[in-house]
Amino acid sequence: MTNASPRQNIHEYLAELEDIPGTRVFTAARARKGYWINQFAMSLMKAENRERFKEDERAYMDEWAISEEAKAALLARDYNALLDLGGNVYFLAKLFSTDGLPFAEAVSTMTDMSWPEYRQMMLDGGRSPEGNRSIKGGY
Amino acid sequence: MARITAGVGSSHVPLLGVAVDQGKWQDDYFGPIFAGYEWTREWERQQKPDVVILVYNDHASAFDASIIPTFAIGCGEKYKPADEGWGPRQVPDVEGHPDLAWHIAQSLILDDFDMTIINEMDVDHGLTVPLSMMFGQPEAWPCKVVPLAVNVVTYPVPSGNRCWALGEAIARAVESFPEDLNVQIWGTGGMSHQLQGPRAGLLNREWDNRFLDLLEADDDAVRFIPHIEYLRETGSEGIEMVMWLIMRGALGQRVKRLHRHYHIPCSNTAIGHIVLEPSA
Repeated sequence: MTNASPRQNIHEYLAELEDIPGTRVFTAARARKGYWINQFAMSLMKAENRERFKEDERAYMDEWAISEEAKAALLARDYNALLDLGGNVYFLAKLFSTDGLPFAEAVSTMTDMSWPEYRQMMLDGGRSPEGNRSIKGGY
Repeated sequence: MARITAGVGSSHVPLLGVAVDQGKWQDDYFGPIFAGYEWTREWERQQKPDVVILVYNDHASAFDASIIPTFAIGCGEKYKPADEGWGPRQVPDVEGHPDLAWHIAQSLILDDFDMTIINEMDVDHGLTVPLSMMFGQPEAWPCKVVPLAVNVVTYPVPSGNRCWALGEAIARAVESFPEDLNVQIWGTGGMSHQLQGPRAGLLNREWDNRFLDLLEADDDAVRFIPHIEYLRETGSEGIEMVMWLIMRGALGQRVKRLHRHYHIPCSNTAIGHIVLEPSA
């Protein structure tokens, strides 16, 4: 385990966060980009909003300042696309539960595995960090 | 005088709450996890803490994206379990300790930690799952709770070094509270897990156990682990472990380990917990 310099340069800090394979760190830039996606998802914590959303997903989303691209990703439940658009998993989880989808099963849809395969990988000890730590470093 | 008598680090995986609430805690999947907590539940029955300072993170339950406090302390009388989309957990309301909480809040601000004060909020699995793991299913929780919520979702989250220093300041604050109280501090979240993207499902048994070793150590090397190391080695949500450092910082330089447990997997997550007490 290495020691952080007490005052790391912010640009270096942010660049490092983009160097992790298959990962979208929820940076301020993503939080800004996905603000209304996340606030929309948050609204699904209220039962009456869940009902209205289920009745007509498109009409409910049209009440929010969300891009067409994001609306299409939400309709398709394309969670990797939503991460790229600034969605955060704890907010998107409100959509998992609206769909009645267990958290781990919803997470598995972001990987290249089926849910049974993903579940088995977890039982077998999870995904190894080996080769998954750094894009540039390849380790 | 109030004193911090012990610290606990523990995962707060929501599925553990489901296991408790649905009585599945003895089955093949959950049995080994709950067996690891048995020692700690018995120890808590003997210790009878008056108050637990419970460091956790909110998972878009009480806080939405509109306000993001880095460190927030609950000074309210009572907190209800949050509805996280499946209905609120059927667990007791959480009773606060406003006198101690406000004393800590004021002390921390005078000690250069500019805390956000929360008077009303619901508390999600980050706070109620550790209570279930330590206390089982009582009619009412056996102690009062001072919630301490940390932003570990939107970057930059606080550094490990800052978390450790906050723990030290919390210890000073508790020591200056005049009432005789047995106070524990719990740091929750982790251990390795990633809940997003194609790398989801990452676990790191070796790193997690090294982290537990460092928590037991007599030096403070663990506070200097940079965010990028947590992210690379333990997954995007493994960063929650910085919250354990608030607990560890509050215990002083030397600690004695009373119990330690580690198990893979629980849902997407590596489960771990450790019980420490300050040592002269």
